[in-house]
Amino acid sequence: MSKRFGIVVVLILGILSPLLVQSLRFDIQSGHTKCIAEDIKSNAMTVGKYSIVNPNEGHPLPESHKVTVRVTSTYGNNYHYGDNVQSGQYAFTAAEAGDYMACFYAIDHKPVTTITIDFEWKTGIAAKDWTNVAKKGQIDVMQLELKKLEDIVQSIHDEMFYLREREEEMQELNRATNSRMGWLSFLSLCICFSVAGLQLWHLKTFFERKKLL
Amino acid sequence: MERRKRSGSVKLFIILGFLLSIVGHLSALSITVNDVECVYEYVLYEGDTVSGNFVVVDHDIFWSSDHPGLDFTVSSPGGNTVHSLKGTSGDKFEFKAPRSGMYKFCFQNPYSTPETVSFYIHIGHIPNEHDLAKDEHLNPINVKIAELREALESVTAEQTYLKARDARHRRTNESTRKRVVLYTMLEYLVLVAASSLQVVYIRRLFSKSVAYNRV
Repeated sequence: MSKRFGIVVVLILGILSPLLVQSLRFDIQSGHTKCIAEDIKSNAMTVGKYSIVNPNEGHPLPESHKVTVRVTSTYGNNYHYGDNVQSGQYAFTAAEAGDYMACFYAIDHKPVTTITIDFEWKTGIAAKDWTNVAKKGQIDVMQLELKKLEDIVQSIHDEMFYLREREEEMQELNRATNSRMGWLSFLSLCICFSVAGLQLWHLKTFFERKKLL
Repeated sequence: MERRKRSGSVKLFIILGFLLSIVGHLSALSITVNDVECVYEYVLYEGDTVSGNFVVVDHDIFWSSDHPGLDFTVSSPGGNTVHSLKGTSGDKFEFKAPRSGMYKFCFQNPYSTPETVSFYIHIGHIPNEHDLAKDEHLNPINVKIAELREALESVTAEQTYLKARDARHRRTNESTRKRVVLYTMLEYLVLVAASSLQVVYIRRLFSKSVAYNRV
């Protein structure tokens, strides 16, 4: 009974945790655009949340503080679009690997105001919903912490494999460039000789024709 | 006795739930710096270790040399500079936050060409003996788990740095390959053009229309 109550408390705190989870803040001036990009692997879960920070506490946000948000992939596919909003969130599974861009455009306003946006973008294991895991498994909070650590270790392991693959690709690329450079230099030597030979032959026949040689 | 034990375990859950939500970190984000770009992060506790890294991903520079790099400064909520790096194309940083509050991480581009920076910032908190003494339900095992998590975070940060550097290295390699092929083709064309110009010039020297036997 107390265990279930404890899990409920954890869930409530999980819902309240946007107050506690760290997020990034940046400023945009009215009429300007700022884009933040992130490199996401294919089939990775990603979650993003953005909201405009209220400059005066207690009063509602002024109408001039609105942004248009667009999240696109490298190939131009649109994953999220928020038009003239003050906060929002998006979640999707990345179909293509590559750089995903979240662009914020602050709407035009005559006295140029600076809008502060609170933004959070989590990918991969950080995007996993731990409160659901806790609820489903009915497990101890300590076990949840340790499960999180296990997931982090697994992701580190996968990342090492990915880095190793990339390094191999790069080595292949370098080796190919090296051999290509060798062939091109050899070809340049051949062209040099053949052009010189052609010149000599052409001038010889030319002078013989002109009866000068 | 029974009620006290129940409220005790509820408190434990509250504390652990609080701890759970503190796993806050960003994945590596990229931002294009035209002049100055600043990012703010809130540090919850004084004495937290703020660590991170950033790598400047060069844009395709075809003729000029490598971009000299960006300036990076970290300002505390009081306004003084906590950490600064000048003219680097990527580095790691780590410092202990002297106080809690909103810290400002700024990238400054002294040149007109825009540069893209890929950065990663992590704020780690390990409950110390002071927190342990304040709340008797905080187990020493939580400290060990927090230390373990911080160690794993540092490995993740290192991997992010390596990945960003690898991406930049790959860009340089691809640009080198393109340049090699382009310049070699250009060299062939110039060679053939120069030799044909030579032949044409010599023929003209010997042609009858210029002057008879001027040579």
